[in-house]
Amino acid sequence: MTVKRDVVVVGAGLAGMRAALEAKARGAQVAVLSKVHPVRSHSGAAQGGINAAIKPEDKWENHWFDVVKGSDYLCDQDAAEILCKEAAENIYELDRMGCLWTRDEHGNIAQRPFGGQGYARTCYIADMTGHFIQHTLYEQMIKNDIEVFEEWFATSLVTANGRCTGVVALSILEGRLEYFQAKATLLATGGYARAYRTTSNAIANSGDGVAMAFRAGAPLEDMEFMQFHPTGLYGIGILVTEGARGEGAYLLNDQGERFMKRYAPEKMELAPRDITSRAIQTEIDEGRGIAGKPCVHLDLRHLGEKKIMERLPQITSLARSFLGVDPVKAPIPIQPTAHYSMGGIACDVDGQTPMPGLFAAGECACVSVHGANRLGGNSLLETVVYGRRAGRAIAAYAKKAPVADGGQEALAKEEARILELLARKEGERTSNLRGELGDVMTGKVGIFRTGADIAAAIQKVVELRKRYSRVLVGNGERVFNVALIEALELGSMLDIALCIATGALARTESRGAHSRRDHPQRDDANWLKHTIYHRHGEEVALSHAPVRITKFPPQERKY
Amino acid sequence: MPPITVRVHRQNPGESKGRKQQYSVELQPAMTVLDVLHRVLADQDPTLSFRRSCRSAICGSCAMRINGRARLACNTQAAGLAARDGSLLIEPLNNLRVVKDLAVDMSGFWKSLKAVRPALIERKTEVPKTFYAIPGKEFHPLSIVQDCIMCSACLSDCTVREVNPEYLGPAALAKAFRFIGDPRDGATRSRLELYSKPNGMWDCDSCLMCNEVCPMGVKPLDAILRMREAALDHGLAQGPGPKHTLAFYDTVVRTGKVNEASTALRSLGVKLVTHPGNLAVAGRAVLRGKQPRLRHRKLRGHDQIQRLIRHVHATRRGRTE
Repeated sequence: MTVKRDVVVVGAGLAGMRAALEAKARGAQVAVLSKVHPVRSHSGAAQGGINAAIKPEDKWENHWFDVVKGSDYLCDQDAAEILCKEAAENIYELDRMGCLWTRDEHGNIAQRPFGGQGYARTCYIADMTGHFIQHTLYEQMIKNDIEVFEEWFATSLVTANGRCTGVVALSILEGRLEYFQAKATLLATGGYARAYRTTSNAIANSGDGVAMAFRAGAPLEDMEFMQFHPTGLYGIGILVTEGARGEGAYLLNDQGERFMKRYAPEKMELAPRDITSRAIQTEIDEGRGIAGKPCVHLDLRHLGEKKIMERLPQITSLARSFLGVDPVKAPIPIQPTAHYSMGGIACDVDGQTPMPGLFAAGECACVSVHGANRLGGNSLLETVVYGRRAGRAIAAYAKKAPVADGGQEALAKEEARILELLARKEGERTSNLRGELGDVMTGKVGIFRTGADIAAAIQKVVELRKRYSRVLVGNGERVFNVALIEALELGSMLDIALCIATGALARTESRGAHSRRDHPQRDDANWLKHTIYHRHGEEVALSHAPVRITKFPPQERKY
Repeated sequence: MPPITVRVHRQNPGESKGRKQQYSVELQPAMTVLDVLHRVLADQDPTLSFRRSCRSAICGSCAMRINGRARLACNTQAAGLAARDGSLLIEPLNNLRVVKDLAVDMSGFWKSLKAVRPALIERKTEVPKTFYAIPGKEFHPLSIVQDCIMCSACLSDCTVREVNPEYLGPAALAKAFRFIGDPRDGATRSRLELYSKPNGMWDCDSCLMCNEVCPMGVKPLDAILRMREAALDHGLAQGPGPKHTLAFYDTVVRTGKVNEASTALRSLGVKLVTHPGNLAVAGRAVLRGKQPRLRHRKLRGHDQIQRLIRHVHATRRGRTE
């Protein structure tokens, strides 16, 4: 059977929902597919806030400069310009939709300081900003009667003559496959930090959309840039918002020293994330972790109970229930955690990829607005600004694009692949392979990298891909087969891991989140360029694309 | 740490009843119930089905019944419960159909949510070009409700939903309150009318289970009670629910305690005697000597109760101003 729509949006986090709303408002017939219900999407786990220059004394141009500098000059400046220029109107639009922004006593939208920025321009709702925006957009989805295929797992893109004509997806609840045929397909499937062992990401963040695009022949961009968030809960990796430091929390080593003064004397705890994560990792590597353990302390105590409970209730409850630590009374043990994927599917400022009919938005896309390092508060902003733009673009594209046909053979092929997985009687368990993958990525393609480590990681990932060809699901049931979904997700993560490591080995410089001990300097002469990834059979081939520099010439980056 | 016994509800698609399957899992320090399920899935039984995603108590996927009440598997420590009760018992949420094992069909939850028109209805006038200037404290009660992660723990353990599947349930009504209190919403009255209909806010029997099990501290019952106050303030006093509340209130104001006979009569009117079920209840009450007294005396110290009531009114005024 085939479901035919003008546009199909895969993924229902902030970018996917915002795009779907925009496309429908512009007259397109829209279907949204998501492997989890929209309100379960990982955008909801974003805590600290969303940036916009909305005060008279703050100008969007200042925000723009902060983004470019934060990106270590690798972002495309025209894309960052759009992000900052369109920020305020998106914040206001969310307010008119019903978003409950935290406000000051005069009724103005409150803002807090965030890392790497010259002004306190991060709008927020306590420490649940993503959650509140997500539920506001879901309210609009209901109001505008957007068709959602909940708990449908997209397994592959369908292409005909180099053009994307839709996706094949598996209903998790029913176990059947369908072909969703569309004039325009938008991927909004989020990031892929799940390839790492220690991560803030949800189990669902396996980068299926990115892997799917890559397999179908769409190029990826800047995959080597993985952001490590400085403050993940120790041992678990789940997020403790940058908003904690925005409200004034300290980072302390085993000696009780605010060590950031040695790494970013001006910005201190509010240095950008790449610098702060490296500082924490250095403290740990040099033996100043708490009691010799791989963690440091995030100390909120001096903020006082009232402020902590008002502004940071979620992280307080997380620290209490996961670590048994009460942040009002004791510092929180934290460690850097794989958090955000700067790279993704290469696309332009309207989300259009080089493959006709295929668009991307949000964390799975690489426009690129974040370059080598994203600033906190810009990921939520990217989802709404570029989600809206992509929604407009797919609606316009669908108006002039011809109706796609074919695709039945793709459906049959996927059906055969799933049946084979379900029927397999012996092989290797998903969990073993996934564990080994996470270990090698965190261990060898982490915060600090060397050529030798990355080369070893590539070898390991290649080996894991071979072993994956006989992965054992061990469950033949079609309905709600969690083991099957896990196996499919592992396939995505293995493809992505190979890309990350291949790009990281090639880039012989240190820039933003990509830090090579054997090449510690930024090298603008050779590497002020994007890495582009192409699939060549089972191999990854690299090429490069120029960075669009429209206003700010590259300078040394100091905080 | 020694292994613990974990009993998990197993049920295949199409089966009307499940069974308990027993596993033994070695506990690691700080292991959550979700970690336990993942160990079972990875090492012992790849056929087990359950929902989960964020592992940090924000996506709402992994609500299930753990040792007798609805909780999130991801933020429930396994060791504590196992030590208290001797083992873990993991079952699907109540009041929703089981799809497979611990995974329930959530469509009943979403249907109730959609029924409350859960999106801002903009005022026809006064829509600003930028944002609404509203002091933060007005949003505070709404934010508490909007913390809801829609995990359905409250619906699972709701005692009214159990007997009336049409009842909207705590989460949907809490969501409804989020719009009642919002100064940007232009449809307060028609919303209150909608939520006052049968199966709405007046069907709640205030058992407090929703407040008890909510992993986010949303307190749906509090939202329902505030919404009832708002409905009465808008003069929406038709139907047995509001009538019961008003009659209850009147007798307490006048005498210091509730007059069960007159409250029942004023709530139900003539139906009190024409409805056969009510007559049966009354008959049983008489037989067991529990019929309400017909002579209702004023309570001693009644003036103190009146003072309390005045105080509550004053606080309420302070809250809404």
